[in-house]
Order: sequence, then C-alpha cells, then structure tokens
Amino acid sequence: MKVLIAEDDLTSRIMLQSVLSKWGYDVTSVSNGEEAWSVLQRSGAPPLIVLDWKMPGMDGLTLCRKLRDQDRSDPIYIIILTSNREPNDIVQGLEAGADDYVSKPFDNEELRARIGAGRRVLELSCEVARRQKLQGVLEMAGAVCHELNQPLHVVTGYSELLLLDLEESAPHAEQLRVIKAQVDRIGELTRKIMRITDYQTKDYLGRGHFIVDIDEASSGLCLMNDQTKERTVDG
Amino acid sequence: MDKRRILVVDDEPAICELMKWAFDHEGYSVETADSAEKALELIETYKYLVFFLDLNLPGMNGIELCRYIRKNNPLTIAYAVTGYASTFEVFECREAGFEDYFTKPAEMKTLFNAAEQAFQKLARWRRNE
Repeated sequence: MKVLIAEDDLTSRIMLQSVLSKWGYDVTSVSNGEEAWSVLQRSGAPPLIVLDWKMPGMDGLTLCRKLRDQDRSDPIYIIILTSNREPNDIVQGLEAGADDYVSKPFDNEELRARIGAGRRVLELSCEVARRQKLQGVLEMAGAVCHELNQPLHVVTGYSELLLLDLEESAPHAEQLRVIKAQVDRIGELTRKIMRITDYQTKDYLGRGHFIVDIDEASSGLCLMNDQTKERTVDG
Repeated sequence: MDKRRILVVDDEPAICELMKWAFDHEGYSVETADSAEKALELIETYKYLVFFLDLNLPGMNGIELCRYIRKNNPLTIAYAVTGYASTFEVFECREAGFEDYFTKPAEMKTLFNAAEQAFQKLARWRRNE
C-alpha cells in the first residue's frame, strides 16, 4: 500500500521512510504541507498519509482540513504526528479530520500498529465501495434486462410461431431464422447479465477504458483480479 | 372436456396479444388481463384452471395474485413468466404456489408444453376426485 509522509525534520523523515519501507509500504516522502497537497492531487495518490502537525507553510492540521473539504472519490486515512500530548490538542487534530495520531518521539511498534490499523480501515472502505459499486451494477442490470426482455419475448415468440408455420424452403424463412437466432442471442446476453454476481471489469480495446466483463462477472466463480484490487485500494 | 381455458396476465399489451394468438392457435381458449385487479374480475365471472402470470404488475403483483388464486382454488396451475430472474424470486414463486417459473424471452414451445402438462395433470386430479 502507498503511504505519504509529510515531515519537515530530515532525521524523522528518513527514519519514517526507512521503517515504513521495511514494513512493506510503498513510501513517498515530502518536507512540507504544500508538497504533500500537490502529491495528493495526483491520480493514484497514496491513501495512507502520515502528517507532521508542525511544518513550515501549510501545517498538518490545515492540510487535514483541506483534504477533508475536498470531494474525494477514494478513501484516505490520516495519521498526525504530534509532540502535543494535551487532550485538547488531540481533540483539535481529530476534529481537523485526522483519523489517528502518534506522539513524537514515536515508538516503532506503536507506529506499526497504528499504520496497520489505518491500512485495515482503508481496505474495509474499499471493500464497502466495491460492494456498493456491485450493487449499483446489479440494480442497473436488473432494470435494463427487465425492460429489454419484454420486447425480446414478443419478437422471439412471433419468430418462433412464424417459423413453425413456414416450409423450410419458403421465401424469407432463412432470414426469419437469422432474426430468431440473433434475438435469442440477445436473450442469452440478458440472462447472463442477470447472473452477474461480482464486479469484474476488462480493458476495452486495451486503452485503459474499463467496462464490465459480462462473462467473468456472471460466471459466479471469479474473484476480484489483482489489477482491479490494486486500483481500488491504492487509488 | 370443456375448452381448455387459460388466463394470461401481463401489463405489456404486445405480450398479451402474442400469448393469445399463440395459445388460440394451439386450441386453447385464452383471455388476457393487463393487471391483477382485472384478472380478479375475470376470475369472478369465468372459471380458469391454468394461468400465466407476469410477476411485475402495476398494483397487486403476480405473486400476490397467485397466492389469491391458489387459496381460492387449490386445483389450479399457475406459471410465472417474468422479465427478471433472481434466486429469491424462484423461492418466493414456489412458496406462493407457482408450478414453475419462466424467464422472458421464453420459447413458445416451452410454454405450450407447460400448458399441456398442466391440463394433463388437472385431468388426472379430476379422475381421482
């Protein structure tokens, strides 16, 4: 998982970068609030953010507030690093939009535990978002299929009845068979769509434009592929 | 035996026309209703033993209509014909008393077979009465 560290003190920044990398995080570090803001505006920005409270220019609390005021589509989790241990200060940090705080000088194990908790919260948020997306897909699919299946039933029904009455060699019998076969194909497609149980996408024409993969999503066997998972968790 | 009467209930006029045309051709006597309420009026006047009911009807839905029909005359056979299939609906349909469940677009041959089997079953029940 990607983590952003914003810390103006070089020693602390290097220490944080070192331990977080050792714990397996993909770390980006910056030395002030403005840089952090800029990194967090990019696509694929780290969702887990460790901010020092006191930094020159934009401080951690101001950055927190700005981030929470933004209409962000992906969840973020903010941990504030603070030397202020007064309850009022902690309240102020949490009210500014921080999810957690770590007191400086920090204990490595505590930091690891708190970052791990943030990671779990983010993964859970992504799972909830994924389920909501799936629910939306299912509701839309159900409504579209229901509407499509009405005219399909009529067209396929009349085609079938006309074919029953026609001689094999009758004029237009072949064309009618083609119409029936194609309408049956659409019917199969709506059945498949109604069996969608998972949110599976595929890259349409390999150009980074993702569409729902109806075959995979309706197979009932698929798990979220790594690419989709990576995109949802890490933005 | 009386002419075999079927009641089709569907709020799509084109589907009612198709079903009437198709089952008339097969020798059944078919009437249609575009709502459960109209179906109830027809049931009060005429005796139907086999039903094809759409589930998604305005007002009273197909499941409630089936429950009513089966409660008032258990010796009837009703089929659900629906535009949207879900496992939940299959369970609910069976619980409501539907004999079987078809998803649109359904093959007419399948529906003809269902009607044929229904009347055979009804004839057998009548012999055992």
